[in-house]
Amino acid sequence: MSTRWYPIYQRGNPQLRVFLPNFWMKLVRPEHKQPENIVRFITPTQMSDHDIKQYLEKIYKVEVASVKSKIKEGLIKRQRFRGYIIKEPDYREAMITLPPGQTFKFPDISTEKEKRDDDEIKKFQDAASQSFDKFKEMNKDRPGVPGWFSV
Amino acid sequence: MNKLSRVLGVVRNQLATYVPRINATTQAAVAPTADPKVPAPAKDKHEGLMEFFDVKENWTTNEVRVGRSWRKEELRIKSNQDLHKLWYVLLKERNMLLTMQHEMNEKWEPFQSPERIDKVHESMVNLEEVVRERNRAYYLLETGETGERPGRVETNKVGMHYFFKASEHVVPPEHNNHWFKKFGCNRREVAKFRLYYNEKIWLGRLKEKNRNTRHVMKLYKRFPDLDEEALQAEYPDVNLERVKRWNGAQGHFMPRNL
Repeated sequence: MSTRWYPIYQRGNPQLRVFLPNFWMKLVRPEHKQPENIVRFITPTQMSDHDIKQYLEKIYKVEVASVKSKIKEGLIKRQRFRGYIIKEPDYREAMITLPPGQTFKFPDISTEKEKRDDDEIKKFQDAASQSFDKFKEMNKDRPGVPGWFSV
Repeated sequence: MNKLSRVLGVVRNQLATYVPRINATTQAAVAPTADPKVPAPAKDKHEGLMEFFDVKENWTTNEVRVGRSWRKEELRIKSNQDLHKLWYVLLKERNMLLTMQHEMNEKWEPFQSPERIDKVHESMVNLEEVVRERNRAYYLLETGETGERPGRVETNKVGMHYFFKASEHVVPPEHNNHWFKKFGCNRREVAKFRLYYNEKIWLGRLKEKNRNTRHVMKLYKRFPDLDEEALQAEYPDVNLERVKRWNGAQGHFMPRNL
């Protein structure tokens, strides 16, 4: 069981149970515009459609109407300076259809982060300008004196 | 999920280890919306699928502070049931992290605290190792065997040795003609190949020995007072007494006993 090695299934034997599945799944943005009830996943190539359905239904309690999946080849690129070829691993792309009445919208994560980052940068800029104002205030009566001169 | 969080909440308090946070969406789902005036929750919020994403507070932060991964000693004192539950928590956490990383990479944003993936992975490896230990102990007690996948060293088609991992087959190999055609071998050709191959290995070893001997000779030429024991330990297959007397080993020094 835990050795990740399963006996061959013979008809009439009890069904094999997976106690510690080690498949991963990624929920990703669809490449092209899709209807609202379609969700795109990236999974390992070993996973079958049945596996994907069971995985979502049993672990995530998501109702699945249908699964369509295909293996996609990883990107093949050329290394910029040495010129050798780099291949990214293959993956399985699964398109899940939710049952009627259910929809899913991919959340906007990065835009919120951008907003937050802008705020932080603004905070730093404000702090810097304030400290410079303080410095100018201190050296009002002695222009041209370097910052390290006074205590 | 709530039951699960309760079980793991206790564990988290006791050991202060990295138990991933349960998504906010599942907790929010408990609140009833009976009031008709209150608009129904947005259709886009799919509870199950939102578990693939981090908690909303972590979307905007630049760093997510987490604890360390689970150690084997901690996992050994847990019951099988707890380990089983923890496995699924870790599995979901890994999926969540991979999803977030993919999304951030696509948007050219830095992924917050990527070491979380390694920590979860380490925990999962440790957990599986602990489960395996238990499995082995159980099988040894019940059957006298470890219950691991059997394996042995075998000779392949071209006469090379490799570690063969056994698996179950419907047909035994001697009755499997298809398999024999594919993986059986011509013994005479294999013998020829092995002869040449062994010769190549033997020549390689011989060349290495000669190389070492010449190197030792040059060493003697430069440093006549070498520590011979250390030299012999470094190059065990070189005959030092013989090399010392060669012309190439004599340096441009004054003779000792003039």
